[in-house]
Amino acid sequence: MSTATATRRRAGRASPRAGSARPRRRGGLMAWVFAAPFLILFLVMYAGPLLAGLGMSFTDLRSTDVRHPLNVNGVGLANYQRLLHDEAMRKAAWNTFFFVATGVPLTIVFGLAAAVALHSGIGRARTFFRTGYFLPQVTSIIGIAVAWRFLLDPQSGLLNEALGAIGVHGPAWLADERTALPSLVAMATWRGFGFDMVIFLAALQGVPRELYEAADVDGAGRWAKFRRVTLPMLRPALLFTVVYSTIGYMQFLEEPFVMTKGGPLDSTLSASYAIYFQFGAGNYGYAGAAASVLFMVIVALSFLQFRVLRPKHL
Amino acid sequence: MRKQVTAGLLAAGLVLSGCGRNGTTGDDKAKNVDTGKVSGSITVWAQGSEGERLGAFAKRFEAANPGVTVKVTPMGMDVAHDKIISAIAGGATPDVSMIGTTWMGELAKTGAVDPTPGNLIDKSKFFPGSWETVTFDGTAYGVPWYVETRAFYYRTDLAGKAGVKPPATWQEAQSFAKAVKDKAGASQGVYQNYTVGSWQELLPLVWQAGGDILKDGKWSFDTPQMTQALTQFQSYYKAGTAPNKVDEGAFPNNFIKGQAAAFYSGPWMIYALDKDGGAGFAKKYDIAPYPRGSAGGTSLMGGGDLVVFKKTKNRAAAWKFVQWLSDPATQAQWFQEVKDLPAVQSAFGDPALKADKRVAVFGETLKTAKTPPPYPTWDQIAHVLETEIQKVALLKESPADAAKTMQSKADGIGTGA
Amino acid sequence: MIRRAALYVLLTLGLGVVVTPFGWAVLSSFKSEHEIRQNPPTFLPAHPTTAGYRELFQRLDLFTVFLNSVVVAVVVVLANMLFCSMVAYALTKLPFRARGAVFTLIMLQMMVPSIVLMVPQFVVVANLGVVNTIFGIILPYLVMPLGIFLMRQFMADIPDELVHAARIDGAGEFKIFFRIVLPLCKPPLATLSLITFLTAWNNFLWPAVVAQTQDKYTLPVALAIFANQEATHYGLLLAGAVVVVTPVVILFLALQRFFVEGIASTGIK
Repeated sequence: MSTATATRRRAGRASPRAGSARPRRRGGLMAWVFAAPFLILFLVMYAGPLLAGLGMSFTDLRSTDVRHPLNVNGVGLANYQRLLHDEAMRKAAWNTFFFVATGVPLTIVFGLAAAVALHSGIGRARTFFRTGYFLPQVTSIIGIAVAWRFLLDPQSGLLNEALGAIGVHGPAWLADERTALPSLVAMATWRGFGFDMVIFLAALQGVPRELYEAADVDGAGRWAKFRRVTLPMLRPALLFTVVYSTIGYMQFLEEPFVMTKGGPLDSTLSASYAIYFQFGAGNYGYAGAAASVLFMVIVALSFLQFRVLRPKHL
Repeated sequence: MRKQVTAGLLAAGLVLSGCGRNGTTGDDKAKNVDTGKVSGSITVWAQGSEGERLGAFAKRFEAANPGVTVKVTPMGMDVAHDKIISAIAGGATPDVSMIGTTWMGELAKTGAVDPTPGNLIDKSKFFPGSWETVTFDGTAYGVPWYVETRAFYYRTDLAGKAGVKPPATWQEAQSFAKAVKDKAGASQGVYQNYTVGSWQELLPLVWQAGGDILKDGKWSFDTPQMTQALTQFQSYYKAGTAPNKVDEGAFPNNFIKGQAAAFYSGPWMIYALDKDGGAGFAKKYDIAPYPRGSAGGTSLMGGGDLVVFKKTKNRAAAWKFVQWLSDPATQAQWFQEVKDLPAVQSAFGDPALKADKRVAVFGETLKTAKTPPPYPTWDQIAHVLETEIQKVALLKESPADAAKTMQSKADGIGTGA
Repeated sequence: MIRRAALYVLLTLGLGVVVTPFGWAVLSSFKSEHEIRQNPPTFLPAHPTTAGYRELFQRLDLFTVFLNSVVVAVVVVLANMLFCSMVAYALTKLPFRARGAVFTLIMLQMMVPSIVLMVPQFVVVANLGVVNTIFGIILPYLVMPLGIFLMRQFMADIPDELVHAARIDGAGEFKIFFRIVLPLCKPPLATLSLITFLTAWNNFLWPAVVAQTQDKYTLPVALAIFANQEATHYGLLLAGAVVVVTPVVILFLALQRFFVEGIASTGIK
């Protein structure tokens, strides 16, 4: 754990060193004062619940025990072992992996493409397009789910109508186990790419013109310029969007919950949804174990991404 | 960092060392309740359209009991269960709450609900199936509030065109589906729910074949009757007389448009169809009892129950309110308000209920309808059933294999009793 | 020239695709119940009606519920603006031995699947006696990890010399914080406002569990009452969806100018 922390510190900005002259005692105390609101809130609302969540994973706690949560049996690693053999959990893990592996790159690619398009001298209309592309981000899934269900309706949704016009017979998007998860990936990409777009837009503005001019002098074409100048300069932005999207997508729950309830045949069952289901079924100990595993995977992935995508100059 | 992890593990260890189940949490005994005049206020939670309408309806209780205020909080259906359990965990329960008919086992085991007082509620006036949903481990908690059951909705115009009457037996149901498809243009045949909630259409078939899902207190799914039920269920998909490639949202539009000529559902669909089908649609369909299997036409019963929490600060008023809601006259009035069928049998004699012919079909069905046992693990079992049912409907699994899988998975989950 | 025209066309087409679900929802909120369910679905309302909105107003105490959502969102935004900046200041401009540990706690809060925390957090709230209060609803959201990141990245770029010079002049830390550092943080603060507003405004599960009487419900919680009823009121739900989204869109448009710079700083440095 300490290695991960050190890496993250290096990946962030270099912090002010103690070389600056200031009374150490005063500085040290003040930092605690400034960090106090967060620490107090964390202590009150998160520390206990986090320990409880971890602790319950080693017991057979059920919803029927909520009034006497200590009246339970410790079961060691039994819950974790059960996870390994649980077919539904394995499916959920695979679905989540698929969702992240396709959703994160798609969201970033579309975000980057939109940012590049808007950046290349659109000028006034930029705000208009930017707002439009960001719109899906601000809608809550519950509000927009009705619209999406109507759009994806196999008989007469707009999508299949449009496909029908060019002679393609669209499938039952949400009812067919082969297309259900990809449909949700598309939905999530639609919702998320605006956020990445805005990040990239700003990052693009920070790329110095001289670099492009120098590349022009070297006779570089547009694609080469993109690869050699733009992308490297976007590395920090890429790191942020990749890490942030991954953390978010690994916990994806709303889309399957609202659109497909994990079906058909668990093909859209996500890790978070499986945990939520176990939770709703009252298997708190088991749900706690699954959540702990999910958490560890998220941490490991983030650590990996920091390692790989860390901006070279840090 | 290492210090924090150590501290955390120590804390967890300390907590765990204090753990351990020390015997049962004590048997609940029903205590009599004061039946005199009541006063003060009570808080009531309810979900769905019941939650929406109960607030205004409860004013009649306030009028009949001056000095009492009833505060109703409506909840969303998806969140009701989480809300109640969290409230129990935090000791912040209301006085009364509506619950689903399969929740009683779990709630009773938490020890948070009050056993039904013997001196207030007469259990014989309820439908037997509905009283079972409030009984756990021999003790009754709360009372049934309203019931619903399932029957066979069919398009009279399409049936007429195909020259068939509503089916009275399993065999006739199969030929009905074929006829409406071949002769009346119902491209989907009849509609059976094969996704979320499909267990509600399977259980009646099991009972109609003479089987049951419990034996000696354990789940019993690997039975000949279950296989027969699944075979009947699958027969439509095999013959192409039921759709298995439609979206959840396809229903009930497919019935309104005449693509599906029949479906199985409860009384609420009457009002949904009348509203969505447009003018005159009510004349195009009718309701018939479940087609009978070898052991009869037993249907599924559902509905809603009411519980009083032990931590109530106004036990007398809470139970009085619950008693008022289960009074036959109130039950009939509630039907007029929300169209929920009464859980009290004598309420069906009320003119308002007698006037609607379609209600009579449900009323008859209720007399023999059964419910799944209110065991704490029912949600998970239902999920197991739904998974296998869907495989069967998609022709990916044979009925016999499905029954075996259901049994083995259910055995792994247990009853939680 | 042609390339630019082609770009515009592409962008507009893209916009059309992106905005369609949203556009359909808004247009359909003005359709009758019957028309919404029509197969094939229509796009423009044939006979525009405000029935959905009227139902929304009649069946919900929309004013109270909307007000609750606003209060919750505004308090969360203000609290985050202050508290996140404070932590960021401690992380970037003050000597702090526990910096790494605090950073770890921040990551913890962000990465834990929140569903497992729901019941224990409710128990905490119940023990604090703030069940069914606005305070209870906002409590877990007063300091959000993403907000801390935002402020931290931006503050790290503020030259230490500014702070340094102020200290030499004898200014206290709080004075430096409020008078010098924060005024420079307008862009990330704008971004933070939008993001935290979004989270608080659209939040559903936690408020649904904490609020026990209707007068404490927020907008998504109140709408959920109608979500799964037997005869679904699509008109009402769509009208509700439009009402939920509108304030956020307005806020986004208002904060546009600051927004881009704000988000940028999180990513690019």
